[in-house]
Amino acid sequence: MADAQFDSALDLLRRLNPRDTKTNLQAITSIVPELTEDLLSSVDQPLEIRRCPQTSRDYLLCDYNRDGDSYRSPWSNEFDPPLEDGTVPSERVRKLEVAANESFDVYRELYYEGGVGSVYFWDLDDGFAGVILLKKGVTPGSQSSGEWDSIHVFEATDRARMSHYKLTSTVILHLANKTEALGDMDLSGNMTRQVEVDLPVESDASHVANVGRLVEDMELKMRNLLQEVYFGKAKDVVGELRSLGPLSDANRDRETQREMIMSMQK
Amino acid sequence: MASTVELASSFIEGAPPGELADVVADVQTLTSEGEDIIPSLLPAFKRYNETQLATVKLPGSSQEVIVSAFNELEDNRYFDPESQTSFAVDHTTQTASAAQSYPLESAHADLIKSLLKSFGVHAREHYPNCSYGVYPIEDDSAVAIVLVANRYSPNNFWNGRFRAIYQLPISSSSTLTGNIHVDVHYYEDGNVALNTTKPVNISIPSVSAESIVSRIAAAERDYQEALNRAFVQTSEGVFKGLRRQLPITRQKVEWEKVGGYRLGQDISGGKGR
Repeated sequence: MADAQFDSALDLLRRLNPRDTKTNLQAITSIVPELTEDLLSSVDQPLEIRRCPQTSRDYLLCDYNRDGDSYRSPWSNEFDPPLEDGTVPSERVRKLEVAANESFDVYRELYYEGGVGSVYFWDLDDGFAGVILLKKGVTPGSQSSGEWDSIHVFEATDRARMSHYKLTSTVILHLANKTEALGDMDLSGNMTRQVEVDLPVESDASHVANVGRLVEDMELKMRNLLQEVYFGKAKDVVGELRSLGPLSDANRDRETQREMIMSMQK
Repeated sequence: MASTVELASSFIEGAPPGELADVVADVQTLTSEGEDIIPSLLPAFKRYNETQLATVKLPGSSQEVIVSAFNELEDNRYFDPESQTSFAVDHTTQTASAAQSYPLESAHADLIKSLLKSFGVHAREHYPNCSYGVYPIEDDSAVAIVLVANRYSPNNFWNGRFRAIYQLPISSSSTLTGNIHVDVHYYEDGNVALNTTKPVNISIPSVSAESIVSRIAAAERDYQEALNRAFVQTSEGVFKGLRRQLPITRQKVEWEKVGGYRLGQDISGGKGR
């Protein structure tokens, strides 16, 4: 029963307005409290920003840097509020995490020209895993706004001189627009893609480059996909609902075209 | 804290176009109550149907007619002025039964009939799959003109709905007010929704069916053009401002070297200025 409930909770969240995922998630877990932990770890929500007290730099919060009610800053490796025995990565994996945060900070500046990013790694028995988070919001006019949240979760499993990478990427994109002629327009949602690949590993530094390239390629793909769905597909469906030109003209054109094809076939 | 029925009701009312049955199935499983929960959700089904302008087939006919707050009689009975029929609606199954003759009784019956005719011509010219209705409202002092157009393509993971709801007080010169709503849902490997609301406010110099419908047609055309422009402007504007397609250098990140760089230093791959 619990499995069926979990599946229907996910299906429901895939159907209800993506702008309200947080409220709907709360509603679902108040109906079935047992699902709370599983849903929180499998449903992506817009990321929250917090300032690291030690370094005064902003970082992003997610389930992977949370321990109880505290969150670990990637810049200081400290929990806020402070925790005596919070779970931190092993020394080797923390070293990788620091390098990845440096690299993805450059990546963020190059592609996002602002925003906030955070990378969290943790140990696995046969390798390690991590999450790369990127967030940016813009409000160019008072009447339009946009918010982008990238959540890339990966596992790197050790093989001989190779590593097997499995990457699951979600982008949450909210866009809103309001003008006199347009009224209110809200274009919101999230899309998820997965990729698995084996890549050579010479040293630990290879991991950062491998994961970097995987995420960079994935974000390029997803940006194109989002552009297609948000601005292409949505506009096409509006065109399916309502035809700008009179349908009788369109039907007449089709009829003329059909007759032309028929006459050419003779 | 909100009760299970209240929360489940909010899910029903939030169902995207064409996906009510899927949401109902999810609610039945999620609450572990199965069909037993349905009767308690009846008010939510009714609100959903009336707000979303649900359509039902008249018994013995292929014609789809609208269910709305404007054509409700009582006890879940509704009427359709075009076929001059009243009918009972089962809100949970979206089906009509017990049809009866229902002659239109209104001081503005002539206007309503000519509006149905003119608006019908307009609707068929622009909406490949739509239902519409014109109803006397507010003690016969005004008319409501409503239209709903649906396109469902669940095999391709998208559904859409266009609604237009107008009200016009009947006097020598009058102002038509209302809203146009467009809802599109795309859900292949994700969940993307377009939701729009466009308030409409048009002064009608002479209350004749032709002038009312021609002004509605112009407002709907203007709105669709504004919406099409907004897709382009948002794509070129806000979307581009969030994340670039490529860095300004037009080159991908050199991951082997990038770790050694610090922000503020040259990150263009060592070309310098």
